[in-house]
Amino acid sequence: MRRLALHLAILALLLGLAMFPTLARATVELRLVVWDGDESLRVLQQVTRDFEQAHPGIKVRLEAVDYRYFFQRLLSQIAGNSAPDVAMMDPQNMQMFAKRGALLPLDPLIAETPGFRLDEYYEPIVAVHRWDGKLFVLPRDIAPIGLIYYNKRLFREAGLAEPDGSWTWDFEPRPELDVGCFTHVMSRLTKKDNTGKVVQWGFAPSWTGAFTDTVVFSQGARYVDDPEAFRRMNFTDPRVIRAFDFVAKLATDRKWMPSQAELTSVVQSTAVDLFISQRVAMYQCGIWDVPKIRKALRPGSPEFFEWDITLAPGYKDPVTGTISRAAPTGGSGYGILASTRYPKEAWLLTQWMAGEPGMRAMAKAGIAQPAIMRLAQGEDWIPGPNTPIEQRYPANRIITDIAAKQVVFPPTADYWTEISGLVFSKTESIYLGTATAKEALTEGQTIASKRLETILKEESLPRFDWRVGCIVGFLLLAGVLGWVYGPELRKKRTTAQRMENRASLWFLAPWLLGALLFAIGPMIFSFLMSFSKWDIIQAADYRGIGNYREALFQDPRFWTTVKVTGVYTLVSVPLGMAFALALALLLNTKVRGIPVYRTFFYLPALASAVASALIWRKIFQPEGGLLNFVLFGKDGRGDFLGLASWLAPNGQLPNWLGDERLALPSLIIMSLWGVGGGMVILLAGLQGIPDYYYEAATLDGAGPWSKFKAVTLPMVSPSLFFTLITGVIGSFQVFTQAFVMTQGGPNDSTRFYMLHLYDQSFGSLRMGYASALAWLLFGAIFVVTRLQWKLNRYVYYEGAA
Amino acid sequence: MSKPGSVTRAKVLGLLGRMLIVGLLVIGCVVFVMPVYTSFAMSLKTPSELATTAAWSWPQNPTVANYDEVLSNPNVNFFRLFWNTVTISTLATIGTVISASLVAYAFAKMKFSGRDRLFAVMLSTMMLPAIVTMIPTYILFKELRWVNTFLPLTVPAFFGGGAFNIFLLRQFFMSIPKELDEAAKIEGAGHWTIYSRVVMPLSGSALATVGVFCFIYNWRDFMGPLIYLNDPQLQTLETGLATYNSLRSEQWHLLMAGSILVTIPLIVIFFLGQRYFVKGISMTGLK
Repeated sequence: MRRLALHLAILALLLGLAMFPTLARATVELRLVVWDGDESLRVLQQVTRDFEQAHPGIKVRLEAVDYRYFFQRLLSQIAGNSAPDVAMMDPQNMQMFAKRGALLPLDPLIAETPGFRLDEYYEPIVAVHRWDGKLFVLPRDIAPIGLIYYNKRLFREAGLAEPDGSWTWDFEPRPELDVGCFTHVMSRLTKKDNTGKVVQWGFAPSWTGAFTDTVVFSQGARYVDDPEAFRRMNFTDPRVIRAFDFVAKLATDRKWMPSQAELTSVVQSTAVDLFISQRVAMYQCGIWDVPKIRKALRPGSPEFFEWDITLAPGYKDPVTGTISRAAPTGGSGYGILASTRYPKEAWLLTQWMAGEPGMRAMAKAGIAQPAIMRLAQGEDWIPGPNTPIEQRYPANRIITDIAAKQVVFPPTADYWTEISGLVFSKTESIYLGTATAKEALTEGQTIASKRLETILKEESLPRFDWRVGCIVGFLLLAGVLGWVYGPELRKKRTTAQRMENRASLWFLAPWLLGALLFAIGPMIFSFLMSFSKWDIIQAADYRGIGNYREALFQDPRFWTTVKVTGVYTLVSVPLGMAFALALALLLNTKVRGIPVYRTFFYLPALASAVASALIWRKIFQPEGGLLNFVLFGKDGRGDFLGLASWLAPNGQLPNWLGDERLALPSLIIMSLWGVGGGMVILLAGLQGIPDYYYEAATLDGAGPWSKFKAVTLPMVSPSLFFTLITGVIGSFQVFTQAFVMTQGGPNDSTRFYMLHLYDQSFGSLRMGYASALAWLLFGAIFVVTRLQWKLNRYVYYEGAA
Repeated sequence: MSKPGSVTRAKVLGLLGRMLIVGLLVIGCVVFVMPVYTSFAMSLKTPSELATTAAWSWPQNPTVANYDEVLSNPNVNFFRLFWNTVTISTLATIGTVISASLVAYAFAKMKFSGRDRLFAVMLSTMMLPAIVTMIPTYILFKELRWVNTFLPLTVPAFFGGGAFNIFLLRQFFMSIPKELDEAAKIEGAGHWTIYSRVVMPLSGSALATVGVFCFIYNWRDFMGPLIYLNDPQLQTLETGLATYNSLRSEQWHLLMAGSILVTIPLIVIFFLGQRYFVKGISMTGLK
């Protein structure tokens, strides 16, 4: 024991020494944070190395964080006053930082830089990065989603001429226009087998939303009145309704394109993969898919076919006959954080990354369309005679220059994500055929308007008074201590009791200190914030019980999420416990190879959550998915254990994750694969039962069932009690499964409480409100745990003190 | 002595029961191994085979090219990240096992004033979603100048190791028969002696469980390293893996190979750790 302790101590010391990295000190070190993935990160690394060579004395530390967590991390660092110097930004998120003073206005820096020409950049991407007249982000690329990739071979086979980009929607096929009518082209390129099943779609959008946007915007309609700070929404505009109707009809009625649900849960492929495998003839996306297609379709390889890009169709006004085009777009750039100590150097870096050197490198790799017009028209981007063969596709890149001039950015107001989410979760029912576009959009807009009203309500709030906050915090701490020790004060303490108390302090010391140092402070802080309006970046305002009132009486999603989480807990916890106990009992038998079985049963709990999420999506796939294969057999007619006829009375294969009645049960089924943890705990409990208990029971003539009841159950009850309490606490806070699998859909059927809380906290920057939600959850868990604690009476502790 | 006939009947019944158990175990294994098998099969496929075949089909020409690429990617220095992850997970596990067992001993075996209510307070630290305490905690570690070191990910483990682990150990300690510590007390042993000589040696399985859980948790932690570590050289395997799963370019073939590589050490740890799961009270021969 002592030797082991010594070895552990030496090991700890060695590891401790390894923890302090030696940092080389350069004169100026800049931190640059981007969200690029593996491939474009390599390009950026080269670009920053070139920058360091051109500017000796400046070192750049490049950090890459995926978009999904990018802003959460950046916000934490801003709050902790350790923000990077330069960070990537995009139009949707820029305002949230600029408006709150977290970004440096670039105009003064531009004015000081001779020869810098902002007019070389595409005007729309510059305009969208302004707020209140000032520029906050220097754009690095523009990414119109208004391009149609098309397969030349399939066009030829269908006897169609190649599109020149002058086509229009026309809403109904007009064969007389030939390739001039996009809808007609779609219909001609779709192939169905004799059962009516689609074998080749004419068209696929990368995101149905972006496709719908294209139809909406090209008609001249917009979703909101003012993209920077909207107060009114136009979802019931006839042009918007028409667009939603049109897109839904193409997918569900005509079946000329897959719907979003079909893409994500039925085909489980992306539009680009369908294009590469020639299962769609055309698809809509931005230019960033080019490297992937080039890689998959190398000239000369068996997969290769001729392909190119063209402009998305426009809308032809029936009266005037003019054609108007518009494309939704993304785009990104670099902003300088206001907290930087080296604004001059940070500006040099920004100019480099979002200027010629950075853009050239990205353009050459085919990753991003330069935001500087001259470069977007030059040979780095547009193929010329000197372009190597593998970079020659797509040939028609000149159209990206046209596309970039007719883009429409999504609203930049920071509440757009939440508000549009409320509307768009309703529009899913258009595809399910349970509502018309008009009904769904009207309902969505009604709910969203109400929410918008709450968000926009101008409350004149006083600053949060931290002196009062500190006092309340201390009182709270004192209250908790009083609750714990109050009843003890009245009791008489013997010397023995006093000695026991003193001894206990030594044992409790680690936790007491840890709680005091790391836990209590942040908990009190969040409790105080639950009475405030706090956006993380700026100082908090005092809102009284406003957050709690909003949650309980105004938030349209609150009670939905409570219900979803409650149902999940009620079903998954008992089911999981029963499963874990059954497995533990099986593994407690004396069969050979138990260690191997045990490891196998625990495997799902060891595996990576992201990888597992993908595999589970495949398992739940309606056609070709493993679950339906087991239930319905290969031909879809089987009836495993009679479950099939119960699940699919009309003979249609269930779409597990895509059906709002089945999505939550799917997540519950999935959770059963994670019972390994409970199993291990229960197994440790079972292993602790001395054999002579069973021997004694056998001597008394007990059968297996009474042995289980009289020996096993009481002896394992401490572990069972533990799995119950922690299982309920955990499932009230369930988050990851829904975050990676369903994002709360379809139609909010898997919107867990924590998902909503997360969106409010880092998504909408309403940390005060999120804290109130968190403390409401805390209260609920506390009460439920308290009730469950009554079961403690039935738990058999052999050695309770 | 029973009659020979009934012995054979009992034997047949026992054999049947055994076959039933083995059958259930094998079926269970197939079901539970399937997700990991699938990612393994996917990791051995080329991207084009991935796109065209069923996920669980065995690759026609298994290739380790994906593993090669993951291990040699200069952006994600796998061996560096591996060492970082080992360091963090080992330290956090040592800290948790030591400190959680001390605290759990107090809650299970000592009768100090206010114990049950203090236990409720401790348990309640599990009930508040971590997301709302993330920013104040970050500010705290920033003020301690711990950001961009492994300290925020390891030091808290030495201070209690979390309510989950304390609660788990408490449940096990409470199952250790009272006679044992009473006997020790009569012989004049103090709490420290009972803790180190009686309770700890008898709790091998519980300590191994906590240790293995804790190691796996820290190995798989994503948010902690993401928030507290800036330097690419300090990243862990889980954050490194995220490089292959960026929103705009998901590279499933590499992600699957990477995730298998990250999981293998955990399988080894679990397999080794579970030897101790059995060494509970039943091994002491206590009567």
